[in-house]
Amino acid sequence: MVASGEDKVLKELVSIVGKENATAEKHIRYAYSYDLSFVKPKLPDYVVMATTVEQIQGVMKFANREKIPVVPFTAGTNIGGLCIPERGGILLDLKRMNKIIRIDTESHYAVIEPGVSHAQFATELYKHNLRWSWPVGPPSACSSSCAISHGIGGLSGRYGLNSEEITSMEVVLPTGELVRVGSCAIQEDSWHSCLPLPQLDGLFKGWLGTSGVVTKIGLRVHPIPPVLKVFTVSTRDIEDMVSYMFNLGNYEICDDLTAVSWWLAQVPIPSPYIPKPDGAPEWFCFGTTFSWTEKEKEAREEIWQNVLAEEQKKGTSIQYAEYPEEALKARTQLPSQIVGSTKNYTKMAGGGISWPGTFTPVNKWAPVYNEWKKILIDHNLSPSVRVTNYRGVHYGMLRAMIPFNKRSPEATENARQAIVECLKVDLDAGGIPYKPPVDFAAEINKRAHPGYLSLLRRVKQMLDPNDIMNSGKLGI
Amino acid sequence: MEWDISTLEDLEDKIWRCTACGNCKTAYKFGPPPQFGEICPAGVEFGFDGMMASKGKIAFARGILDGELEWTDSFLDAMYKCTICGGCQNQCELDHKPFIPEIMEAMRRKAVKDGVGPMPSQKKIVQSLSAYNNPYQGPRRVRTDWTRPFKKAKKPIKNINKEPADILYYVGCTGAFNLPARGVPTATASILQKLGLDFGILGENEICCGSTAMRIGDAEEFKRVAESNLETFHQLHLEKGVKTIVTSCAGCYRAIKKDYILSSDYDKMMDGIKVIHTTDFLYDLFKKGELKFTGELPLKVTYHDPCHTGRHLNKFEVDEDGSKLWKGAYVGMNEEDCLYDIPRELLEAIPGVELTEMERIRDNSYCCGGGGGVMTGYGDWSAKNASKRIEEGMRTGAEKMVSICPFCHYNLNEGAKRINSHMELVDLVELMDQVIVE
Repeated sequence: MVASGEDKVLKELVSIVGKENATAEKHIRYAYSYDLSFVKPKLPDYVVMATTVEQIQGVMKFANREKIPVVPFTAGTNIGGLCIPERGGILLDLKRMNKIIRIDTESHYAVIEPGVSHAQFATELYKHNLRWSWPVGPPSACSSSCAISHGIGGLSGRYGLNSEEITSMEVVLPTGELVRVGSCAIQEDSWHSCLPLPQLDGLFKGWLGTSGVVTKIGLRVHPIPPVLKVFTVSTRDIEDMVSYMFNLGNYEICDDLTAVSWWLAQVPIPSPYIPKPDGAPEWFCFGTTFSWTEKEKEAREEIWQNVLAEEQKKGTSIQYAEYPEEALKARTQLPSQIVGSTKNYTKMAGGGISWPGTFTPVNKWAPVYNEWKKILIDHNLSPSVRVTNYRGVHYGMLRAMIPFNKRSPEATENARQAIVECLKVDLDAGGIPYKPPVDFAAEINKRAHPGYLSLLRRVKQMLDPNDIMNSGKLGI
Repeated sequence: MEWDISTLEDLEDKIWRCTACGNCKTAYKFGPPPQFGEICPAGVEFGFDGMMASKGKIAFARGILDGELEWTDSFLDAMYKCTICGGCQNQCELDHKPFIPEIMEAMRRKAVKDGVGPMPSQKKIVQSLSAYNNPYQGPRRVRTDWTRPFKKAKKPIKNINKEPADILYYVGCTGAFNLPARGVPTATASILQKLGLDFGILGENEICCGSTAMRIGDAEEFKRVAESNLETFHQLHLEKGVKTIVTSCAGCYRAIKKDYILSSDYDKMMDGIKVIHTTDFLYDLFKKGELKFTGELPLKVTYHDPCHTGRHLNKFEVDEDGSKLWKGAYVGMNEEDCLYDIPRELLEAIPGVELTEMERIRDNSYCCGGGGGVMTGYGDWSAKNASKRIEEGMRTGAEKMVSICPFCHYNLNEGAKRINSHMELVDLVELMDQVIVE
């Protein structure tokens, strides 16, 4: 892959990263122009693979000087079109920066580069009986991007978002300066905690790649207890499920407490929509727990039995439910190629998957879901919805997996419209979309406090005076 | 003879089944313990997403079909750098999984049809096939050079064109023409003779199986030699009593098993004939007690699974309408034809041999780098990739790497030379021949 010497931008990029790592060839750019979602494909003008921090600094300084947009990329599997360039420019592929720098087996944190995949990280951590909160994404996706994008995983019921597990960061700013946040900012080799310093890590979390390029990240990791138990129940409606998940969530005993609607429990998700069979429960829930001893497991089980009895006493429709083995694997054997492939979502539709993915408090799940169900069925789409408790009952996730036939522009637009309608309902109920495509960002910003938007703009302006980083993604 | 060889357009629905999830980019198994490994040789070397795994190739295919991408030298170069090893296919969980190598080859067929493929360095393969019926530009008479020691020892190998035999040993061009790989047919024939089996070879009349032509997208040249071979096999069955075709070449084996079957006349032509890889054939005899090892071979070895005798022989079951739910909703895979256990069992049965495994084995074996026309098209890179595999073998502490493919044999030895490694690749039959007596 030799870059042509006539393009001045390319020539400069080649001088920074080498001719094998920079290109303007269309077939290479094309492969970065789309992702799983409904977001319209757009091509970067250049693709660059960096292998060192210094190279990233070089690229950013050059791009900042020339006011060329830069889109950071690790695997591009965010289901939000976050790595699709809105305004062309340089796509900065970080997959070759894939070293696991340290696993601290005493203080339980790891320091990794941005290109480390879940598969690579899981394999190394397991050697020390350690784990991370693996998401239901492809094992080839990267852990650092998951963390800085407020990704979630199989331990989020206990520890919260993966962004809450960040202990330190090294970041190249859009201007090319190298900064550090967390303990590594004070002592070079110390990566254990962002606290008690001012939480400057917030400048780089949830910003959708618009505020800097993370070059090293410290992440908390956790031991793997040997005894697994999954609590499974079903209910006739969302209201009864909410009651149960509030109740069980209060005890904070689950690593993951998730419920899925009948449509999401189907493999594959029915597409187009089909009605649920009469008499089938509408909701299924699995609470995943890991214990160190059988006695600990029994104690957790006792709590769950009590919760089940309490819910039955209330007269709700809750029932113990057998959950298919394959589905349980999908919750407990992470990272997973099967789940990560989105196979069980897309099979009947073909190639496309998007979501209204939101953080919505548990007490808003029922009204929002009932509205979403109407909207999605109106669009002939299955209401394949998931709800999850994070950190006990502190906050919750509500999302619908929407498969669509990507080959058909009409089907893609139908899915997009339905999803945006769902988001409006959720936003009006106090929820917030996560990893939002620009369409969603626009809806968020419409409702935002003017002070919030002003602050957002000022921080962005301070970090990225020429608005080069993932330009246009924040919708501000 | 009609052939059911797909065009890129035929595969369009499959191409749109890819979600771009990127599962295909790295090898991974949950375990426990989890296992991770790089799997795409072109992706490891060239890095850009388009160069990597099926996600990248599907992007190329989509770009061609939607008219966004036009042929350029650089695009062709990227497309022909794929070794079609199927490593990415092994990771995929979507419904287009069974068609992944087919999609890659269909792009190449389109390039050939459009008059821009294969790569200039690969054109000599096709020219040689056309002129000599082999990809090595070797005159017909050279094809039997490897048999000279047998003549000298007064144990000539039967010419099946003249004398009947139960077994046709289909040597393959690499074993016959590629000097460093000639140990493979020599050892195979030696073993067959020691076992007193009634076999013969086509000798100077053997022609290429067409595998390389198919892999680089020249379907017409493939069809020409494949039709000729099918007719030859049929005649040998009718006139010379051939019931079994044994081949020690993974490429030939794959071609006859998976490519020839695309012919409308396959069943008719192959009626009464079984095609089997040498390893599988000898294993049957071993299990029946008709093949015994004598003496000892004190050697620590590691085993390299060739793509063509491994994951390329997977059989897939796609639940098209999703009606089978849970388990069946995923792409079912049947590995019964894949030669994973058999060569290992034979190795471990050789007295003195100690087998130690590399990290990436069986369905996640790392390609030697020579497949898909890459060895001819990009010799240096092919050998560089082979060096990486050799290094992986060296990390096991093994003295030799063993495999069952003359292509891997040549390329991995080139890789070893490139890094001055003591590691040598030998074919399983070369080891077995040392411990089988008449």
